[in-house]
Amino acid sequence: MAKLTLKDIDGKIAAGLEESGDWIKVGMSTCGMAAGAGEVFTTLQQEAKKRNLAVQIKKCGCQGMCYAEPLVEVHCGGLPDVVYGRVDKDVAIKILEKHISAKTLVNDNIYEVRTKR
Amino acid sequence: MGKKIILLADTERSEQEKLRDFYTSFANLIKDNGLEDSVSLVRAADIGIYAKGFAVKIFPQGTIYTGVKDGDIARIIEASVKADGVLNDLLFKEEPKQIRIVLRNCGVIDPESIDEYIACRGYGALKKILSGMTPADVIEEMKKSGLRGRGGAGYPTWMKWKFTRESQGDKKYVICNADEGDPGAYMDRSVLEGDPHSVIEGLIIAGYTIGAGMGYMYIRAEYPLAVERVKKAIEQAYDCGLLGKNILGTDFSFDIDIRLGAGAFVCGEETALIASIEGRRGTPRPRPPYPSVSGLWGKPTAINNVETLANVPYIILEGGDKFASIGTEKSKGTKVFALTGKVKNSGLVEVPMGITLREIVFDIGGGMLTDKPIKAVQTGGPSGGVIPVDYLDTPVDYENLQKLGSIMGSGGMIVMDESDCIVDIAKFYLGFCVDESCGKCAPCRIGGYQMLNVLNGIAAGSGTLEDLDKLRRLAQAMQRASLCALGQTAANPVMSSLKYFENEYREHIVNRKCRSHKCRSLMTYSIIQDKCKRCRVCVINCPVNAIEGDREKGFFIDASKCIKCGKCFEVCKFQSIAKE
Repeated sequence: MAKLTLKDIDGKIAAGLEESGDWIKVGMSTCGMAAGAGEVFTTLQQEAKKRNLAVQIKKCGCQGMCYAEPLVEVHCGGLPDVVYGRVDKDVAIKILEKHISAKTLVNDNIYEVRTKR
Repeated sequence: MGKKIILLADTERSEQEKLRDFYTSFANLIKDNGLEDSVSLVRAADIGIYAKGFAVKIFPQGTIYTGVKDGDIARIIEASVKADGVLNDLLFKEEPKQIRIVLRNCGVIDPESIDEYIACRGYGALKKILSGMTPADVIEEMKKSGLRGRGGAGYPTWMKWKFTRESQGDKKYVICNADEGDPGAYMDRSVLEGDPHSVIEGLIIAGYTIGAGMGYMYIRAEYPLAVERVKKAIEQAYDCGLLGKNILGTDFSFDIDIRLGAGAFVCGEETALIASIEGRRGTPRPRPPYPSVSGLWGKPTAINNVETLANVPYIILEGGDKFASIGTEKSKGTKVFALTGKVKNSGLVEVPMGITLREIVFDIGGGMLTDKPIKAVQTGGPSGGVIPVDYLDTPVDYENLQKLGSIMGSGGMIVMDESDCIVDIAKFYLGFCVDESCGKCAPCRIGGYQMLNVLNGIAAGSGTLEDLDKLRRLAQAMQRASLCALGQTAANPVMSSLKYFENEYREHIVNRKCRSHKCRSLMTYSIIQDKCKRCRVCVINCPVNAIEGDREKGFFIDASKCIKCGKCFEVCKFQSIAKE
């Protein structure tokens, strides 16, 4: 990567986070990993590929809700951002099938719904 | 306009069945009203409200109703689903209790991507100071903010930086103290794993301010993921010209290197940490001279905690005044706590200073995990103290906690209920400090050991009332004569528990009783003859054959043989073993 200058920083900040399209973030700190976030992450990647879904699977740090790890945050056009907790393989697949494909929220694992960012 | 989303949650988190029934009634009414195509109904696991019955949250309005009964559903549908009205009698006003400054990016950005950090205004603070703030300006801004060290002692950060800046030395150093060792505390780890660049940016700013050209991150080796992510972040920063020579094209140059701590608690103490970085054995030395005068390799050194540094970019960007508007008179900003123990929602919380413990435990933490009442909250780890339930409404800040005999510490907060024995807790924390004492000074090495012996005696039922005075005397000697904070504060958990729970100590000594059934030697097991089905399971499982008798006469525990292991209590299917 090229060395940045003072101006570049301004430009990059002004550009903001490029969040086009749908994405899924998996909390991958030690607390999440210990609860099985690694498996959830690979499941999401594989299953999304299998289903040919245009969704980005990303990593992020700890949100603080350690009691509900692994945490998965889903951003899908037309729906508010939702944080799912205690996600395992089955719930991960449900998230892809229901939330991403069918645009309906998944029951019983919602821990937070964000109205605005 | 999309569909309306209706979230249903059981804020008491009782049985799943109840919520499902509620969901069914709600769904039926929606169907009756012919709304099933314009509404989507979802069951949530948790919506951040506790002990308020069933809750209904309607999006996109964000209206929240609590204490909803089946009879209210029709009204809600009429007022808030079909129209955008609000039912005032059920309405719940949500007040956000948490403010995220340190954790602003944790869980939002990819910690392994510098681009995402920059896009969230990362390195904007560095750019701001490099394009026109002098070190004196930075110190002034920090002074305005009132930020105090988050590692425990609460020393004002601007003063530390000012003194180090004013010290004479051809070279100066800054160190990030990431040797977080308190049992049950993991705030720093989360920041390093979730947002490593914010700490690096804070460290570069600290370096610029005091005039240092080199910074060290001292991270404990028990945090492999944090080390890996910080390493990656440092590499990225070098690649982007944010570290190294001529940062961002200016004259300022700064390097960062990582040093790993091999798991000694005492290395979180600044002089021991310096010794460890220098490659010597990690033992503290007397202060003064303070590190700001003579630190790493005898040069002026500023040592800051992870959380302190993570606050710095925010203060520079948003201004010290904005930061100072949060918190209490003497403690500004927010504090991250690792809320653990017998609380429903264990995890990290970032709250403004001045919030009460009750709000943290019950409003954010969701209340107690068990149905037993809360007994105390332990803050500050092994250097802190126990705060009894009567003081739960105290606003949390540095001074108030100190008044209560505890400390803010690095931010561990352990909630205890009636099943936790106070002597046992004191024993645990003191035992930790005895294990971790480096052994250099006698008050800590010997005093701690002797205090632990006395506590063990009390827990074993051989304590006397004089022991309590002995504990107090030893604690005083340790506080006054120990070389570093580890020894000076090691007795805090014992002293504060003795202050608030002397009765419980006396019960152990006089009545030979542990009301929480934690101190094994003070327990007796017996068989409740009326309940006993004489199945012999306990007889077979007793490791010392202390249970005698036969199927006709019944079984009895021979107290002289019993080693109080509790095996019989565990294996009995009919709850016919009494534990007292």
